[in-house]
Amino acid sequence: MPGHRTKGFCATAAALALCAVLAGCGGSGESAGGGKIVLRYTWWGNPDRAARTEKAVALFEQRHPDIRVQTSFSGYDAYKQKLATQAAGGDPPDVMQLDYRQIDQYASGGVLLDLGRQQRVLRTAGIDPGLLATGRVRGAQYAVPQGRGTETVAYDVQAWRRSGVPLPGRSWAWDQWADAMRALARKTGKPGGTDPGQSEDAFEVWLRGQGKSLYTKDRRLGFTAADLARWWTFTDRLRRQGAVSPAEQTTQLDGSVENTPLGRGKAASDANWDAPASGFQALVKGGVALAPMPSGADGTPGQYFKPSMFLGIGAHTSHPAEAAQLIDFLVDDSDAAKILGATRGIPVNEAIRREIGPSLTGFDKTIADYQASLEGTLKDPPHAPPSGDNALQTTFQRDYDQVSYERMSPRRAAENYVTEAKAELRS
Amino acid sequence: MTTTDIPAPTARRSATAARRSPKRERQGAAWVFLSPWVLGATVLTLLPMAVSLYLSFTDYDLFNPPRWVGLRNYVQMFTEDPRYWRSVLTTLTYVVIAVPLQLALALAVALALKGMKRGKGFYRSAFYAPSLLGASMSVALVWRAVFNDGGTVDHLLGTGGWVNRPGWALFAVALLTVWQFGAPMVIFLAGLQQIPAELYEAAAVDGAGRWRQFVSVTVPMLSPVLFFNLVLQTIQAFQVFTPAFAISAGKGGPADSTLVYTLYLYDRGFVASHMGYASAMAWVLLFVIGAVTAVLFRTSRSWVFYTSEEER
Repeated sequence: MPGHRTKGFCATAAALALCAVLAGCGGSGESAGGGKIVLRYTWWGNPDRAARTEKAVALFEQRHPDIRVQTSFSGYDAYKQKLATQAAGGDPPDVMQLDYRQIDQYASGGVLLDLGRQQRVLRTAGIDPGLLATGRVRGAQYAVPQGRGTETVAYDVQAWRRSGVPLPGRSWAWDQWADAMRALARKTGKPGGTDPGQSEDAFEVWLRGQGKSLYTKDRRLGFTAADLARWWTFTDRLRRQGAVSPAEQTTQLDGSVENTPLGRGKAASDANWDAPASGFQALVKGGVALAPMPSGADGTPGQYFKPSMFLGIGAHTSHPAEAAQLIDFLVDDSDAAKILGATRGIPVNEAIRREIGPSLTGFDKTIADYQASLEGTLKDPPHAPPSGDNALQTTFQRDYDQVSYERMSPRRAAENYVTEAKAELRS
Repeated sequence: MTTTDIPAPTARRSATAARRSPKRERQGAAWVFLSPWVLGATVLTLLPMAVSLYLSFTDYDLFNPPRWVGLRNYVQMFTEDPRYWRSVLTTLTYVVIAVPLQLALALAVALALKGMKRGKGFYRSAFYAPSLLGASMSVALVWRAVFNDGGTVDHLLGTGGWVNRPGWALFAVALLTVWQFGAPMVIFLAGLQQIPAELYEAAAVDGAGRWRQFVSVTVPMLSPVLFFNLVLQTIQAFQVFTPAFAISAGKGGPADSTLVYTLYLYDRGFVASHMGYASAMAWVLLFVIGAVTAVLFRTSRSWVFYTSEEER
């Protein structure tokens, strides 16, 4: 028996020593790059965007042999949670992709670096001033918009055409859209589209079509429980009629196109942002086309051009200049722009937009053409959403779950949401 | 440690310096060897606990400095947050489903394995494996795929996706836990092997059948082990997180049906950035688990049977 024990002891000791060695290696991330500076760059998106981003990053590394970029990406929901956790732990990535909803919270929380200090490396002169301003909080530039996006109804061209329902035109009102969804469901036996009731974005479009907004200028709620109850009554009826996706499918939405009913072959259309819609190409065999979002009854457009996503730098990065170089490359370099195409929306740098515009092909061209068709018809974007909105987006989905699973009336769910939203915006 | 802390009488202390120093040295050595544990416990457990207790009385959004709000978080939790109570109810439902099912399965398998002559080692490992794998995120994700609509269970049973039905989703979460019955099973097995064979022989001589033997010999003899497993699994069940998180993609859906306590705590802390509120929730959970354990200990007096008591 003692022999056994010695053997076991040795094995344990060896294992411990090995752990210590491995931990030692893991701890020194800086030296792992072989003397290079290592930047962590995180973003959300789909595999299409991943392939292009990797290619662009490789080109950046080629031009800057002293820098190595570690990238990581995930779906939007998972990304949002992970970034919040990292930021809270004081360890945000060096370069991070941000959403409109995160800017205010992250900037005022001291997570982001003031990019004004990196002006020498990071050129912003080429960016549309209106769009650039959306990355500004209390006078300081905390993030640079990377693309311009707008919402769209992406649809399966073949399924739609075969159904005999007329294809969407250049504009439609919500009622016409609802008729089309019902007709599609009748003809194809599948829902016409994703239930838009769970989407705060779709609700915003509907609201703006009536001249209202999600938030007022002084960061309060811009609508009443009655408004929201009307929206949810409208979508709930469509769901009961089978015109839009059932609750079991709607609840699987997590921000990735793979988990939308359209992506899973269970519906003919999906309301989404135009840039991520490129992900549908790989999933929908019949081909994907883009139609505008429905407008208000009097033709008031609800959708708008939004800075689709931003890039920011962690406030305490040890390589601010290099991080700024990477952002500059992704936003202002024409070779990078050619690789990235419209995967994060149409480029914000006007010179680059003009330069790569004609060379865009495939779905990038579809997105560019779609945006061009809307140019001049849309209203100004709303102010950046207040901090609390980041959490309310999830609350919105949850409360609508209660409606679509028929556990609450639209009226009661709407009242719940408004109560929580008011509390959230106050704190 | 306490004994060495007591200062030695002055008379003895003044005796020789040589006698004192080895003792000091020994004490020093003890501290050196203890230091990893002491450091770990202080830095990784006690300090965070103290900070979390402090945060529970503040409004803290992770980014800005905490603001003292007194008992507001606790008041809000108990009086103004219906979702909080829903998460409490969901967790209790989960505990009531998962713990008895898991223990029953663990005991049944342990009984089956006990009498086995050959291949015991193989089956023991086979049944234990899910406990090792089950804690991992990847298995939970596979579980989600299996119970999703269009998934395996949907195909086999035609019941649709369990994880997308508010009435079924929590059951899918519980099933994932029940499946990981390996740890209590091994403990049961050890307990079963401690029961003297003479007791069964005596019972058999008295004409007791298998069921009678189980009720009158196995259960009472095994009751300390049963109690141990019950306490351990109950405490664990109250803290269930990973399966609920993975199955609902972190949202506790559909329609809040898998929003267990810790998941809601996570949601408040890291999604909604109300770390103060989340800390308050954590302290209430600690208190409740403590209370439930105390109640279990209290009831144990009437049903847990120790052989030593008999001899007393």
